[in-house]
Amino acid sequence: MGDPAILTAGLSKSYGPVRALSDLSLEIQPGEVFGFLGPNGAGKTTTIRLLLGLIRPTAGRAAIFGLDCHRQVVAVHARVSYLPGDAGLWPSLTGEETLHLLGKVHGRVDLVYRDQLVKRFNLDVSQKVRTYSKGNRQKVVLVASLMSRPDLMILDEPTNGLDPIMEHEFRGCIQEAKERGQTVFLSSHILSEVEALCDRMGILREGHLIEIGTLSQMRHLSALTIEVTFEDEPPDLSGLSGVSLSRVEGHKLIFHLSGSVKELLELLGRYNVTGIISREPSLEELFLSLYGESEPVGEDEGVAS
Amino acid sequence: MLQAETVRSAKSDRSVWDFVIARHMFRRSISSGLLWGTVFGVFVASSAFSYASVYGTQADKNKLAAAFGANVSTSALFGPGLKINTVTGYTAFHIWLTIAIIGGVWGISTSTKLLRGGEDSGAWELLLAGRTTRRNATAESLLGFTGAVFAAWLVTAAITVGSGRAPQFHVSAGSALFFALTLVSTALMFMAVGALTSQIGASRRQAATYAGWILGASYAIRMVADSGTGLHWLIWVSPLGWVEEFKPLTYPDFLPLVPVLCFTVAVGGISVVLAARRDLGGAILGDRSHAMAHFALLESTFRLAIRTLRPVLVTWGSAVTLTGLLLGYVAYTAGQTLSNSSLNGIYAKLGASGAGVKVFLGVSFIVLAVMVAFAALGQVAAIRLEEAEGRLEQLLSQPVTRTRWLAGRLGIAVADLFALGILGGTAAWVGVAFESNAVSFASLFAAGLNVVAPALCIFGAAILTYGVLPRATAVVGYGLFAWSLLVEFIGGIGAMNKWLFDTSLFHHMAVSPTVPPNVTSDLSMMAIGLIAATIGCVAFSRRDIQGR
Ligand SMILES: Nc1ncnc2c1ncn2[C@@H]1O[C@H](COP(=O)(O)OP(=O)(O)OP(=O)(O)O)[C@@H](O)[C@H]1O
Ligand SMILES: [Mg+2]
Repeated sequence: MGDPAILTAGLSKSYGPVRALSDLSLEIQPGEVFGFLGPNGAGKTTTIRLLLGLIRPTAGRAAIFGLDCHRQVVAVHARVSYLPGDAGLWPSLTGEETLHLLGKVHGRVDLVYRDQLVKRFNLDVSQKVRTYSKGNRQKVVLVASLMSRPDLMILDEPTNGLDPIMEHEFRGCIQEAKERGQTVFLSSHILSEVEALCDRMGILREGHLIEIGTLSQMRHLSALTIEVTFEDEPPDLSGLSGVSLSRVEGHKLIFHLSGSVKELLELLGRYNVTGIISREPSLEELFLSLYGESEPVGEDEGVAS
Repeated sequence: MLQAETVRSAKSDRSVWDFVIARHMFRRSISSGLLWGTVFGVFVASSAFSYASVYGTQADKNKLAAAFGANVSTSALFGPGLKINTVTGYTAFHIWLTIAIIGGVWGISTSTKLLRGGEDSGAWELLLAGRTTRRNATAESLLGFTGAVFAAWLVTAAITVGSGRAPQFHVSAGSALFFALTLVSTALMFMAVGALTSQIGASRRQAATYAGWILGASYAIRMVADSGTGLHWLIWVSPLGWVEEFKPLTYPDFLPLVPVLCFTVAVGGISVVLAARRDLGGAILGDRSHAMAHFALLESTFRLAIRTLRPVLVTWGSAVTLTGLLLGYVAYTAGQTLSNSSLNGIYAKLGASGAGVKVFLGVSFIVLAVMVAFAALGQVAAIRLEEAEGRLEQLLSQPVTRTRWLAGRLGIAVADLFALGILGGTAAWVGVAFESNAVSFASLFAAGLNVVAPALCIFGAAILTYGVLPRATAVVGYGLFAWSLLVEFIGGIGAMNKWLFDTSLFHHMAVSPTVPPNVTSDLSMMAIGLIAATIGCVAFSRRDIQGR
């Protein structure tokens, strides 16, 4: 029915020989909280700057609420707020002056909400930007991007530099925005944050979108971690389809299983099994496995079955 | 054995004197050192040769000397004219103060940029990380700057020695070396002052402002000392006074080297000590970290630009007004001596209307032209800085078009350039009016507008570069400016290929108010500037926003 909040088709950006972003096609619906992940230099900031029309695509196009990101920037920006990853502010202005300026230039600010945010983030707005710590500077841009209650918030590493209490406060703000039906596009390195906040997420590597979906969809693509404790020496399971990376610790066998558990259960039925723990991979494990790191096998937070 | 190893490594951990930072700072300041060294040298040669050719007869020279020698006001403004009936005496008198002030400004801007500016941007933190202490790093930086001043001295000296061999100028190699040394000595002292205020101020701008005040105060003190009120001893309290007391080429004196060197070492030493004591990024005279909110001019990107540029606009406005006043004020005295001399013949060929005052002003207005062009480049640099430091990204992600933002900035800059031209011309008229009504307001007003033309042309070229290749903005803008200035100076000596001379934008500006402005050439330069700026604006709206 309505236009998607963000729609990109074949969006690409090259800096000379460097392909920062290749052929990104993405559709995000209004009201979604979308997490955008990827290692350093993957192209997250490049994507965001393309969406805002700050840089021009080498190929492809992007639209926000059906408006072209390059030809209709003013109309797009009226519905969007942006938190830059590397924010530049006017050193001689105070926090309050900065917020006033950005509010006036944007044109739509919920002043009551702004003051609430300032309190919640415990920000001293009478201080000059020059003398702010990194975290306090980040709070200024954070308040600035939340205060207009825009239809779409594009946030590039928003909690960079925030302490855990403030990060918690930020999560609360995003939850509220979600309840109000605002759309959020969140680029982050903090996987627990994305895991807690986002409905869907995309993972970028070297400019290519390599995964997209909900966390549970992604988990299906990945293996379960299973620990089976036997009364005697563990049997060899390597013949079983879908089993990988087995490791033996005494009477305990630890391995990954992808695909069906039926065959495994039939096989285990023939042995004296004293315990079995299976757990889904965390986003962190998913993330690491996608980048070909050695997959860590968790010891705790198991789910007994 | 082993123990000795350990002891040595522990010792070298504490203070690393590998001169990496000294070399780094030297590399960062050497190009401006060579540039200014060249400009100083060419300035010396051009003054000497133009004096020799303009005041052809000894009678002319004596008349000039008589007018300036006894004049208290010119002596207060420019220092006493010693032996100005000789080429060497006149040259020393004519250029020492200009070069001393340019050298001082260069010193301040280099050291505050590399020390305080580096601290503001975080570059200093990287440079320091783990390597060395801040005390050593500051000391090494000062060493690097001294190297750049030394290079400037070598270049100025080489040009002075070379031109001193010409029979008209006739200066021995030794005197030329000493003369060049006195010319760069202000740069050395004010590099140290800049290093000191970098420890005191809370930002680069503040550090540069404090150092600027010290330069201004030392000018004011020597002005009082030379005002003939019996306070001449005050000359020994002012760094510029020491430079004046060198009296190179006339009554050379090495004694002022003592205060110059002591001052440099003491000020440099204090800044090294302060650097060790204070926090990185902190300030001794911290500016207020808290302030009452003032919401004036924070309503739109255009008004924001006015607010952030306000100090710059005011500074340039006052500098141009003051210069105009001074030029106008001395023009009468200087012009008196010219009106009956052979100079008239030369300018009559160019269509000069005759009055010596106008001739003097015509030659001097190049100073205003240079200042206005410099202000224009400052505006472009500020535009680029807004983008490089990521503030523009913040603004352009709001419902604001790029064209609107840039057009606003261009509008402010162009209006400022015209305002500066008009201020300069009007102030010169006021200055002249103290002494006589020899020059009409209309002709000085026109001469003021005349200096806007080359500035606008350079401005347009810089904006075009900004639109197409933002990272090259400064190089192209300041390059074109320095080139034009250099060619204008060298061309002034004579003996230059006409085509090469034409590449200087200042050469296309008529020598007003001596002759009326060349309207066609002025309008062409302005039109070229505005068209280039417009193309730059269009190119800007189509390119990527680029950080550093
Ligand atoms: N202006 C530029 N010129 C040249 N290359 C660039 C430019 N901007 C980005 N790149 C390159 O594009 C690639 C993607 O960069 P981008 O900033 O989008 O990464 P990112 O995913 O945001 O990384 P990070 O997590 O470190 O913020 C990198 O290889 C980077 O070096
Ligand atoms: Mg990034």
